[in-house]
Amino acid sequence: MTEKLRRYEKIDFLGEGQFATVYKAKDIETSKIVAVKKVHYLTMILQANKVLAFIRGNFMIKVGSRAEAKDGINRTALREIKLLQELRHDNVIGLLDVFGHKSNVSLVFDFMDTDLEIIIKDNNIVLTAANIKAYMIQTLQGLDYLHYNWILHRDLKPNNLLVNSEGVLKIGDFGLAKFFGSPNRINTHQVVTRWYRAPELLYGARLYGTGIDMWAIGCILAELLLRVPFLPGESDLDQLTRIFQTLGTPTEETWPGMSELPDFIQFKPFPGTPLKHIFTAASDDLLDLIASLLNVNPLERCSCDQALQMPYFSNKPAPTPGARLPLPTSVKRQPEEKPSLKRKLLESMDGASLAKRLQF
Amino acid sequence: MLSGRPPVTENPLGLSWHDSAWIPVLNPNNIMDYFSERSNPFYDRTCNNEIVKMQRLSPDQLQNMTGLEYILLHVQAPILYVIRKQHRHSPTLAAPLADYYIIAGVVYQAPDLASVVSSRLLSTVHHLQSAFEEASSCSRYHPSKGYYWDFKNGKALAAKKETPVREEPSSLFQRQRVDMLLAELTRKFPLPVPKPVHQAIEPSMEIKQEIKTEKKDMKPPPEKKPKVN
Repeated sequence: MTEKLRRYEKIDFLGEGQFATVYKAKDIETSKIVAVKKVHYLTMILQANKVLAFIRGNFMIKVGSRAEAKDGINRTALREIKLLQELRHDNVIGLLDVFGHKSNVSLVFDFMDTDLEIIIKDNNIVLTAANIKAYMIQTLQGLDYLHYNWILHRDLKPNNLLVNSEGVLKIGDFGLAKFFGSPNRINTHQVVTRWYRAPELLYGARLYGTGIDMWAIGCILAELLLRVPFLPGESDLDQLTRIFQTLGTPTEETWPGMSELPDFIQFKPFPGTPLKHIFTAASDDLLDLIASLLNVNPLERCSCDQALQMPYFSNKPAPTPGARLPLPTSVKRQPEEKPSLKRKLLESMDGASLAKRLQF
Repeated sequence: MLSGRPPVTENPLGLSWHDSAWIPVLNPNNIMDYFSERSNPFYDRTCNNEIVKMQRLSPDQLQNMTGLEYILLHVQAPILYVIRKQHRHSPTLAAPLADYYIIAGVVYQAPDLASVVSSRLLSTVHHLQSAFEEASSCSRYHPSKGYYWDFKNGKALAAKKETPVREEPSSLFQRQRVDMLLAELTRKFPLPVPKPVHQAIEPSMEIKQEIKTEKKDMKPPPEKKPKVN
């Protein structure tokens, strides 16, 4: 374990939460920059429990009771973390390593420079149609991989879509930290930050599927376009009001079975606003994608795979290549700057030596 | 962008657009908003202006973007505004694509040189062609006479069109002559009864007009005309 400690060389302090401290570190073996999340042991037990519940919940098969999970906590939890480690996709944050030291457990993740929330809020950045397409493709591909592996993210929001200086987007924060506040029920409807929460969750649905992630993606897409949260509800009720005011109140015809949901309330019928009046600069193929992602009926909402097949992703403009995606001013694009600096230094050194030779 | 808006199948040069609600309040500050109205067929809503507007960014950001944008090129308030559509390659380089002029609130696309020239050429060719068609429709052939012109069918129309132009100088002359005759008549028959005199003159005028038209039918060789004038 001390070997592991030495392997990751602290570079910078990134932040401290209630349950963990995050450092920027360098992996000496691979000279890769990583983020080390140091979690306190007691927290770790709770967290591991959440991880376990999370993964089982996502498989939506009750593998074992909660009591069973508690008994073999450490071993099982670590095994489950190992499972997370096995998730390998360019657009999913990689849990590279896990090690313990004294009463701490540290999780090693890919280092990410920024996230979509910071990018969306940076008014110096213009998000062109091509940029938005690049972010959407990466998000959907990452999420498709998770869904394919029977994992629901359940907390998609711009803040959890991490972006590095190469313009690669990775879905992060697999509820590891986020799961603290939520009651430890399998399939609770109290998931997803309210603004990105699908209507079936707001109506208290306990049986839901990938649709809740797709809804969140729709809200994120809308936020990329408008640069402000699309449906910033102040309470769960206000959230539903905003959804129906914008998209129109569903009926038993447009959403069969809606009235049987546990927390169903009949809203007064709103006609809804045409999407093209909201997203004035959006092309028609993009409007089709938004409409499909933000379909109030979860059964008619598209899946990642269906979304990626839509004409929007094959039509012009082509998505911006990662290296040319905008970054906030606070994030420096290192691979571009470092070599040039080195070259300058080398050149100046050569120049000096040359001058000396000339003098002789 | 492929499916930005329903493509304008009509020739944009033949289109105009206006929104009467806006027209009284147009000024250099809101003219771009007027132009970016959703119903304006000349406005591509996937342009950079609309992206900046939708993302609530500063309009200065347009300089840093590449792609399609609209700028206010010329203002002659309150009657004329010229808006340019251009493709921006860099903050300093933009290639003009089209100009639009707003006269008294009505938006038109300014034609490009090629369209102007081709339109003029087309109308020239059209008139030449119809002239030839008309001429060839009047040519006749008879085995004994050979080819000859028969203007009876075409002339009826052509003569009517031409008469008003030719009538004026000749009718002036005629009127002068009539005036002279009237003067003579009033001298010969000074005070007593003017009305019967008029009645007597009118038939004479009719006769003269008849003579005139007869003359015209004989006129076709244009030599007579300069002589009369």
